[in-house]
Amino acid sequence: MAVRASRFTGYNVLMLRLAGAGILVALALMASACSGDESKPAAAAPPKAPTCPQSWKGAWHRLAVRVGAPVYCPTWMPNPLDGEIGGQWDNGVSVKKDRSYLVSFLWHEPPAQDVHVNFRGYPGRTKIPRCEDVEVVAGKAHKTYSPCFSDPNGKRRFGPIAATLYTVNRGVDQWHILYAWKDHGSLYAVSEHVAKPLTFQQVRRNLDRVMRGLVRVSP
Amino acid sequence: MKLTRKELLVGGAAGAALGAAGIYELVDRLADSPTHFGEGREPEQHLLDGMRIERSEGVEVVIPTRHHQMVTAKIADSPGSLADARAALSEVLQKLDDEHPGTPEGLAITVAWGLPYFHTHVPAAAAQHLPFDRRAGKHALLDARRFPSDPPDARLEDNDVAFLFRTDHQEHIQKAATEIFDRMKGVLAITSIRKGFAGQLDGGPGLPKEMATAAGVPGAELIPDGAELFLGFTSTQRHALGPPRIVNFETLGLVDLGPRSYFRGGTHMHLSHVFEDLEAWYLNFDFRERVNTTFKPRMPVKEGTQTVPQPPARASSASEVERDFHRFGAIGHSSSIQPASRLQHDVRGSDGTLYRKGTAIPQRADFNTLDNPFFWSATPDLDRMTDEPAAGLHFVVFNPTSDDFHRNRLAMDGVMPGGAKLPFARGDRGQGFNAILQTTHRQNFLVPPRRHRSFPLVELR
Repeated sequence: MAVRASRFTGYNVLMLRLAGAGILVALALMASACSGDESKPAAAAPPKAPTCPQSWKGAWHRLAVRVGAPVYCPTWMPNPLDGEIGGQWDNGVSVKKDRSYLVSFLWHEPPAQDVHVNFRGYPGRTKIPRCEDVEVVAGKAHKTYSPCFSDPNGKRRFGPIAATLYTVNRGVDQWHILYAWKDHGSLYAVSEHVAKPLTFQQVRRNLDRVMRGLVRVSP
Repeated sequence: MKLTRKELLVGGAAGAALGAAGIYELVDRLADSPTHFGEGREPEQHLLDGMRIERSEGVEVVIPTRHHQMVTAKIADSPGSLADARAALSEVLQKLDDEHPGTPEGLAITVAWGLPYFHTHVPAAAAQHLPFDRRAGKHALLDARRFPSDPPDARLEDNDVAFLFRTDHQEHIQKAATEIFDRMKGVLAITSIRKGFAGQLDGGPGLPKEMATAAGVPGAELIPDGAELFLGFTSTQRHALGPPRIVNFETLGLVDLGPRSYFRGGTHMHLSHVFEDLEAWYLNFDFRERVNTTFKPRMPVKEGTQTVPQPPARASSASEVERDFHRFGAIGHSSSIQPASRLQHDVRGSDGTLYRKGTAIPQRADFNTLDNPFFWSATPDLDRMTDEPAAGLHFVVFNPTSDDFHRNRLAMDGVMPGGAKLPFARGDRGQGFNAILQTTHRQNFLVPPRRHRSFPLVELR
């Protein structure tokens, strides 16, 4: 199981922060007219295309420049997270030499409650990467390499994105469900941890909503 | 279909719980009744006649009964005359036998007795007549024990008696259980009621998935459609179950039956309850890993297969299991048990049957459950009863002796029959699917032959 930093120590602290942050996020989302709101649009008005919120867009664009490929900016995130790189829920951004990236957002409530969403991109390749597992049995390390995303569980289309749902994932996506899709020769993925306080169904709904709101940000 | 909390729960008293279906009523709403054939009464209580055998993915599978119920009890503090109780129970059981064929369409009742009964109520006769396991150098019926992968707080129970009910029709169980315990009022005090079901490979999402989904069990949505059990694989392959009389005390010659062979035709039953963490199973183990850990590392199985052949010729030996361990750091659940659970050479049974090398010995009668851990308990605190449904298994298995079951179970934890001990830590991922199982209760019982199923040995006190 991946070790995740606990950024908050208590529910009350969290709720205080949410009270302030939630209002700002809500305002930002409303201002950006994102597609996260599932209420029905007015009959005559065509739904507006989602756009990367202004306050998040700069960092996502800088990431696209850094990896030399488009990245996907969320416009809706499960409560209490937002999609602001460098914001209060940012759990780290990493870019490897091969330009693959991981952007992580985390809310953690000890001992075991998480809302954790990861965004990944693998510029220039579409093959599912392989993850190393090391099991130490009787003092001997057994290394195995397996696809980082496995057990495909159906395909879904979200606007221009045709994604496959994977239910068994490894590394920092362990115990997450994950959508992966290809775009112009690159592989992208978004995953969310199935953990309390959320159920599998809630996580699945969250992930679907995140996917519906993704906005492609070019370098 | 999601059940309301009211539909999941039942009233508090044992009598009400015996006649109540709770969530399990849904079993009959979800599946049509299958057609079985054949009937009759064997001298053995543990045998169920007229079992349907079908081919699933090219493998012969014994279709399990849909409904199961286990009721455990203790003899009351002042039961009165046990001879009278013996006659009364015998009469009600005979009446029920007369009313229902011993088939899935009818009703099979197995009455099994625990060591506390023999030690407390018939000690002298038990000392003389309880079968003796020659191989183990111990009685054939032993106290249950905890195994290396069991939690340290797994409860070792001390019930006097257990009644196992099996049928495709829940109303048969409700009526029979109520009738038995009404008649035995003042003699038997119910300690627990455990209910469950098994899928019958009859298409659609399948009973385990539908029941778990209706109960809102985490991970239920990930159970493959059509699975016989929560963990997604068929476990009643014909070759994975012992042939009818192989578990009788006398068949394999493991047991000394004593001066009057009182328990000839009887067997041993182990009962335990195990929680299954479906979310961990389906989110952390991909299909390949689930095959590796359920059957054998690197076993060639097509993606999505649910019924994996388990023929005698392919049974694993202890050395193969050890080899897997050293090569992969892992053992499969089935393969690790096989050196203990399959015949290591041809055996001519006392019934004249030639049982070939590789033949399975245990006869499992396990069933999935949403009990947490029981449907009803007389000691809810002690049994850590919780209202929330939980995926699990009431594990019921017939073996010739307690020691034989213990050998099987130890092998599952990497303790091989030859003495080799594969050094796994508790919950180790390489140790079969033990990593996602959590045992809560265990007890061993003796199943007398049908003629002595009611208060055995009382007449010899």
